[in-house]
Amino acid sequence: MSDAANTDRWIRWLNTVQLVLAGLLIMAPTVWMVLSSFKPSFEVTAYPPTLVFSPTLENYVELTRTTPFLSYALNSLIVTLGSTALGLLFGIPAAFAVSWTRISWPAILTLAARMAPGTLFLLPWYVMFRQIGMIGSYTALILSHAVITLPIVIWVLLPSFDGIPRSVFEAAQVDGCSVTRILWRIALPLVASGVAVSAILAFVFSWNYFLFALVLSNGDTKTLIAAAFNFIGEGSTQWGALMAAATLIALPPLVLAALVQRWLVSGLTLGAVKG
Amino acid sequence: MASISIRNLVKRYGNFTVIPDLNLEIADHEFVVFVGPSGCGKSTLLRIIAGLEPISSGDLYIGDKRVNGVQPAQRDIAMVFQDYALYPHMKVYDNMSFALELRGTPKAEIDARVKRAAALLHIESYLERKPKELSGGQRQRVAMGRAIVRNPKAFLFDEPLSNLDAKLRGQVRAEIKALSQELKTTMVFVTHDQIEAMTMADRIVVLQSGTIQQYDTPETIYERPTNQFVAGFIGSPAMNFFPVEWRQERAILSQAGRMVPLDGETAARLSRAGNAVLGIRPEHFAVASDSADSIAIDVKLVEPLGSDTLIHFDLAGGSAIARVDPALRPKVGDRINLYPQPGKTHLFDASNGQVLW
Repeated sequence: MSDAANTDRWIRWLNTVQLVLAGLLIMAPTVWMVLSSFKPSFEVTAYPPTLVFSPTLENYVELTRTTPFLSYALNSLIVTLGSTALGLLFGIPAAFAVSWTRISWPAILTLAARMAPGTLFLLPWYVMFRQIGMIGSYTALILSHAVITLPIVIWVLLPSFDGIPRSVFEAAQVDGCSVTRILWRIALPLVASGVAVSAILAFVFSWNYFLFALVLSNGDTKTLIAAAFNFIGEGSTQWGALMAAATLIALPPLVLAALVQRWLVSGLTLGAVKG
Repeated sequence: MASISIRNLVKRYGNFTVIPDLNLEIADHEFVVFVGPSGCGKSTLLRIIAGLEPISSGDLYIGDKRVNGVQPAQRDIAMVFQDYALYPHMKVYDNMSFALELRGTPKAEIDARVKRAAALLHIESYLERKPKELSGGQRQRVAMGRAIVRNPKAFLFDEPLSNLDAKLRGQVRAEIKALSQELKTTMVFVTHDQIEAMTMADRIVVLQSGTIQQYDTPETIYERPTNQFVAGFIGSPAMNFFPVEWRQERAILSQAGRMVPLDGETAARLSRAGNAVLGIRPEHFAVASDSADSIAIDVKLVEPLGSDTLIHFDLAGGSAIARVDPALRPKVGDRINLYPQPGKTHLFDASNGQVLW
């Protein structure tokens, strides 16, 4: 066998090992979580972990018995959909404006805001929302989660808008389009998959975000992820119920990602619009 | 239909001046070609007319209307872009009807205009296709169709043939020319290809560094270039240049010390100037049967083109090209006697390149 063929074989083998390791690393906690949610409470924290056990739904029963799970799920949905919509409403024109004007500092500013730890926002927001009597409102939660969704939408869409040849916009200008109309009639249809990807990513990140809801929500507006925190007590933690809640919380983003994974990849790599 | 008038136009990008001070009058129905090397400002000038670039100072009129600061949409011009700039998500029909739809043109009229333009350009069968399903030539036609349906005051073309292969380029060039004669609309066409400029234009604007070097008919620009830049830019292969001086009542090639036979009128001009740059187009060399009153050259390279043959040779410290009859069948190493055809030579001032009359 030639040296080149040997090298190829080695590279293929290393690639496989690498993928298996990465897969294990990523999937192991998820599998652990799902399996634990079906174990009896005493087995959840058993060491070494039991791989063979009698599956039970007792954690899920406990979860729905002790918490208004559906109501929290509805809260999560309202906050996530609201903040995703808000992110799209402002993020799409913002990304287009940054691409159009080639003035990038606003986009960098939103990225910096996204990179800053969430705790940085908590105190000012808490004070601000309390002053205007909005603590515990959906509006406060949706507005705070826009800090997560807006940068995602901007930064996912920016390369998509940049990928559209400038001359297409100029042709539209000559044809009689205002800038707003160019965005609506020309640019937006061309970045539709990018918009879908940014919406999905914004949804997932907002759905999973914990900190703002913990502080800014109340009993009526608590989101699922914040509610799951209730199972962690000072004296003892209800690991089984926590795992059941975590499994249910993880379900929508996972299903969403699985449904659109092909689109997700093509949307993320969207760079140029071929004529 | 409208004239275009540019007065004292200046275009700057920051501290960099692209167009220092430009005046240009394009008559109604005229086909004007802007030609020049890369970076000469020809596309910038076209984009200024289109309204895609703001003017730093000066005035621009389309018809009687001063259009400085007027949005492209309000200028009533149509533009064909180098990359065609079709809307990828729209069918050909929608690409062509889009501008009319924006103006609120009635549907029946849109339909009639699109179909008329499609028939004119032979693209009726593509109307339901998306741009990605078309070849380069077909896309080019759609881009022209999109401009035609507008029935604009002026058409602007920004190097629209540069992405086509040589055969198609020639074909579309002829089609645009025919179209201009049929539509009788003012057309401004940008190209770096001097053959396109020569074949299509009523008048050519030769630009260098944002300055008009010459603005005239193709024939005049070819026959009477006003400076060495224009002379070298227009014509293919380019004009040959040789430094010459007037010594002992004869024209001498400065670096070779050899006599060059000139007609009486050119010799008189050289005698007045003392020294100059002599310009001879490759096609304006003639082959002499003997060495008297001619320049003997050694053939360095032969390029047979079929209709004629190009021979490359060294003369007066530089390379030169002559276009000769293919029946001559020159070979590398052959010695050939050449002389410039009387009345076909050009003399330029050695210091500033301006033509010496």
